[in-house]
Amino acid sequence: MDTPDSKNIDYQRGTVSAVDLHDAARREPSLQRGEEGRVGVTVLAISALILIFGGGHLFSTSNGFGSSIYVSDHYIPEPRPDLGAGGDDAAAVAWIDRWMSDGKKVYANCVACHQATGLGVTGQFPPLVGSEWVDGGTSRLGAILLHGINGPFHVAGRSYSQLMPPWNSLGDDKIAQVLTYIRREFGSLPEGEDGVVTTEMVQAAREEFSGKANPYTEAELLAIPADAALPGAKVDLQTGEPLP
Amino acid sequence: MTLPQTTPEDLNERAAIDRSARYPVMFFFTSAAAWLFFATVMGLVSSIKLRVPGLWDACPFLGYGRLFPVHCNALVYGWAMQAGIGVMLWLMARLTRSRFEHPVALIVCGHIWNAGVALAVFSIWVGAGRSIPLLDFPAWIWPVLAISYASIVVWVIPMFQNRRNKLFYVSELYLIGAAVWFPWIFFTANLVINKGSAPVMGAGTNAWYLSNLIYFWMAPVAIAVAYYIIPKISGRPIYSYPLAQASFWLLAVLAGWTGFSRYMGGPFPAWMSAVSGAAAIFSLLAILATVVNLMLTLRGCTKLWEYSPSLRFTMLGMLMLAVWALLSATSSTFVFGKNLQFSHFLVGMDTLAYYGFFSMTMFGAIYFIVPRVTGAEWPSATGIRTHFWFSTYGIVTMVVTMLVGGIAQGGNLAQWDQIFSASFVNASAYVVGRAIAWFLITLSNFIFLYQLALMFLGKGRKSEGPTLLHTEPGEAANAREVVGIH
Repeated sequence: MDTPDSKNIDYQRGTVSAVDLHDAARREPSLQRGEEGRVGVTVLAISALILIFGGGHLFSTSNGFGSSIYVSDHYIPEPRPDLGAGGDDAAAVAWIDRWMSDGKKVYANCVACHQATGLGVTGQFPPLVGSEWVDGGTSRLGAILLHGINGPFHVAGRSYSQLMPPWNSLGDDKIAQVLTYIRREFGSLPEGEDGVVTTEMVQAAREEFSGKANPYTEAELLAIPADAALPGAKVDLQTGEPLP
Repeated sequence: MTLPQTTPEDLNERAAIDRSARYPVMFFFTSAAAWLFFATVMGLVSSIKLRVPGLWDACPFLGYGRLFPVHCNALVYGWAMQAGIGVMLWLMARLTRSRFEHPVALIVCGHIWNAGVALAVFSIWVGAGRSIPLLDFPAWIWPVLAISYASIVVWVIPMFQNRRNKLFYVSELYLIGAAVWFPWIFFTANLVINKGSAPVMGAGTNAWYLSNLIYFWMAPVAIAVAYYIIPKISGRPIYSYPLAQASFWLLAVLAGWTGFSRYMGGPFPAWMSAVSGAAAIFSLLAILATVVNLMLTLRGCTKLWEYSPSLRFTMLGMLMLAVWALLSATSSTFVFGKNLQFSHFLVGMDTLAYYGFFSMTMFGAIYFIVPRVTGAEWPSATGIRTHFWFSTYGIVTMVVTMLVGGIAQGGNLAQWDQIFSASFVNASAYVVGRAIAWFLITLSNFIFLYQLALMFLGKGRKSEGPTLLHTEPGEAANAREVVGIH
């Protein structure tokens, strides 16, 4: 017991006294309420920056706190030149090719459900290929894209129960491009129909369906005639100019 | 200004508290360390499996889909929370000057917690997992965990009621916050997920839970440790006490909004992830204020870092908290987040929080507490050094490769006309870094477990001086003496 080692108390064996306290307890000071030191200008400046960035992020990405806006403008993937198009000389390419390739980029929003092939996922997400909604008039299709559709609804003889969110936060051009893309790429169009949806037609659709608050149900959509097309001039596929 | 030395009466009281804490606290620490070792081995095995997917194909128990959740759940509930609970109880006893009145009850409840974790891990391993990160276990297990947590942490209340310390120290504020916030987030998440909400809401709630497990449990426990240990070791009072209190309330008000940005672009209103992203940025105020405050407290005596293992682990942990909070704020914004979500980046971030920040701080606390409750010194300074450096190199390797790999993988994922698996195959080289990291961390924690087991069995070094990281100055009474600060 008198070697220096025995300075450590043996808790299993006995009592403690201040004399043979374990050294660890002795070597710490007592705690106090701390000081009231000041933080420098740098720290305050950094705090101000944090507040500015946080507030900026909040108000620029929340899209006005609307409860029916599902995709923030800032989330939509930017055009990526390495994925083709965009780098070409715009004048040398026909208007419809640029319109389609822009539509393909906007379609990036749709691939998670409808897949890059437009075939959907059997039983879960409806296909665009062979869908009567895509092949029919543009009014119904425009209505679905602008305001979404809530299940149950039927596509190509199958019932689906998912909710497709509204996409009216996309710009008119983007909606027109993606509608053109899915109709020309995945639809089977009647003879003589070019499948083009123009910005003008989307503007008309926004006006026509403007009172809609919730996603459509199948019954509401069926009330729109199957072959109703959105009003708007046809365009020259080469130049994009309205035809007389 | 330095803190006053202690009177003999206080010393006696301190020793009596430590003695009453010995068995429950050592039980929590040792079983936590055993879970940690298991979790790191699982981390290593799952990383190897991810790199070489064809390996052990015949055995369903060695599939990545089971190994990875087993690893995560063991790491968080087995190690992190259990170590945190041990630290919380001891700190609370010391700060309120209350003894552990019912150590046996605590040990019994601790066994229930361990049984709950073991059930959770086992059921995931045999294939009953649900693929909800950190709530993977079957629904009937969560009440076991909730009840055992409550029955352990409830002992903080009598300690607090019978407090004999006039000072209500800022660490107590953080500990009480952590003690009550965990039941809140755990109940909410489990109720929303298990009681028939829409699946989208379940996923969002899960993301909220994951984020707040860090902001509302790990961060306050670790910050409480830092505000305790750093003044104790440096002998300096907290640089700005009002700032320490203010950052607690900032954390309390802001951090609960974080989380949804993990699934930004998901099918819930856009403002939800926008608000989460903004909350992650605003929470930086609380985290950075805390870390700056701690560094200012240590100003002029950073040399202590070279000698005191507790200080070194704690301070590194707090710096990693700042790094994590910065990265988390950055990746919660749409600009960066949309190309980082669903990639290795997320694994890197979670590991940075669970290991880099929280575990490092807990190691600091354990290196401080165990000599006091067992009455012996750590057996080997080399062991502690090895633990520190292998852990540090391991976690840095992990975080750097996973973050860079995550950026590469996220870029690949954005190429939407490419099949999903291509993004994984292209980034799989980075998984080698993850395997190496877990190998280093596993080694370091084997040493940690071995040393802790020796201490548990009463085979610690009997000595006058503490085990410091460098031994040249001989048997100094403390790290302050070595570097000449009095």
